[in-house]
Amino acid sequence: MTAAVAASIMWPEALIDQEILAGGLALIPALLLAHYRGWRIVTVLLGVGLVALVVMHLSPMMLGVSLRGPFLILFVVAPYISIALGAGWFGEVRKYQAELRATQLQLIQSEKLDSIGRMAAGVAHEVKNPLMMILTGIKVLAKRVPVTDEQTRLLLQDMEDAVERADRIIGGLLNYSRDRDLDLVSADLNDTIERSAMLVKHDLENAHITLVSTLEPGLPKLQLDEFKMQQVFVNLVTNAIHAIERDGEIRVTTSLEQMTRDSLVGVRKSERFSIGERAVVVRIEDSGPGIPEEYLQKIFDPFFSTKPTGRGTGLGLSVSQQIVEMHGGTIEVGNRDTGGARVTVTLKLGKGEAAS
Amino acid sequence: MRKRRILLVDDEASITRALAMYLTENGDCEVCVENKGSRALAAARSFKPDLIFLDIVMPDADGGALAAEIQTDPVLKGTPIVFLTALVSRRETGGATMTIGGYPFLAKPVHPETVLASIAEHARERA
Repeated sequence: MTAAVAASIMWPEALIDQEILAGGLALIPALLLAHYRGWRIVTVLLGVGLVALVVMHLSPMMLGVSLRGPFLILFVVAPYISIALGAGWFGEVRKYQAELRATQLQLIQSEKLDSIGRMAAGVAHEVKNPLMMILTGIKVLAKRVPVTDEQTRLLLQDMEDAVERADRIIGGLLNYSRDRDLDLVSADLNDTIERSAMLVKHDLENAHITLVSTLEPGLPKLQLDEFKMQQVFVNLVTNAIHAIERDGEIRVTTSLEQMTRDSLVGVRKSERFSIGERAVVVRIEDSGPGIPEEYLQKIFDPFFSTKPTGRGTGLGLSVSQQIVEMHGGTIEVGNRDTGGARVTVTLKLGKGEAAS
Repeated sequence: MRKRRILLVDDEASITRALAMYLTENGDCEVCVENKGSRALAAARSFKPDLIFLDIVMPDADGGALAAEIQTDPVLKGTPIVFLTALVSRRETGGATMTIGGYPFLAKPVHPETVLASIAEHARERA
C-alpha cells in the first residue's frame, strides 16, 4: 500500500484521476477515524480498501483489463466505508453495553452490601448476648462434667465450636456495618505484607505450604490503613492455604507498574486508574486447583464460599474487596495459565507520585 | 487472702446468672449481680466491689455514663471497671490493651476464662 501511495505522489500524471481522488478522500478520513478509535480490524479493512483502490486504478497496466469506471470506484468505496465503520460502531456499542451491565451488577452488589451492613448492625448486638450466655453455660457445665465422661465433654466442645462459628459470622457481618473510614498513614506495603505473613505462619507450617515472597525493594510509600490492609492479605493468603489444603506453594510479589490499555481490564479498574499511571501491584498466586470458571463471577458475593461448612464465612473476599476499594484500588481474582489461582491487588500511589 | 468482690452489671439475666456461677465455682470470687442499670450505682455502693463488669448498652442506663458516675462517687471512686460489650467483636479488640473511654473492655461473647484473667489483672487488691 505504501508503495502504491508513494507511486501516486511520484507519478501524479499517471495515477491521479477524479474517481481515485474521490475514493481516496473518502477512505483516508475513515481510516484515520478508525485508527484513532482503536478499531484495529476496521483500520486494516480500510487500509485494504485503499490498496484495492490503487489496484483498480493501475489495473490496465497490471492486469491488462481496466477495472476503472466512472462510478465504479465510488460505488465500491461508499458501501465499503459504511460497512467497515458500522462494524466499528457496532463493536463499540457492544463494549458499552457490556460495561453498562457490569456497572449495574456492581450497583446491585453495592446495594446488597449496604443492606447487609444495616442488618448486621442491628442484629449483632442481639445475637452476641445469647452467644455469651450459651458459651458461659457450656463452660460451667464443662467444669462439672467428670473427666471420664468423654461423650458429654465432646458434646460440650461441639457446642463451644458452634458458638465460635456463629461469632465469626457476626464479626464478619459487622465489618460491613461500621468503620468505613480509613485510618490512613504513610506506609511501606512490603512491611505490611511481611507482618501479615507472620500472622499466617502457623497455618502455613501446619499445612506444609511454603510462602515465597518477592517484594520489590524501594516501593513508594502508600497511604494505607495498615490494620485493614493486613486483614486483606491475611484473608487472601488464608484462602490460598485452604485452596491448596496441604503441600504446596504460595507466591507473593509486589512491583511498581505502569498501567497499560491491556492492564486496565474491567470497569472498576478503568474507573480508578488511567493509562500511563503508575501503581503498586501485589500478586498472590497459589499452587491449588484454581477456581472453576462459573464461580469467578460471584466470588466477591457476600456469603459465597466453596469451603466446607464451618471453615469459611463467605465474607473474606467481600470484606477484602471493600477495603481495597476504600483505598481507591482494585482486586481481581483469576486463574493462572499454569494452574492455581491468582489474586491481583492494584493500589494507587500518593498524589504526585502516580505520573510516570 | 479474702475473696475478690465482683459486681456484674448486665441487663441480660441469663448472662449474669451463668457468669456468676462460673466465677463462684472456678474463681476465688464473691459475685453480686445487678440486672437493672439504673440500680447499679446503689448496688455498687452497698457491695463495694473490687471490680465491676459493666455492660454498655442497657435499656434503662448507659454504661459509659454509669462509669463516669462511679468515678466521681466519693465511695466508689477508683473502683476498677471493665466494660462487657457486644458493640465490638473480639477480633476487633486486638488484645487486652484496647480501651473504651479509658476503660478496658471485653467483647461478647467472652470466654469466662478470659473474665477470670481480667479479674486477676484489674481487680483492686485489698488486705
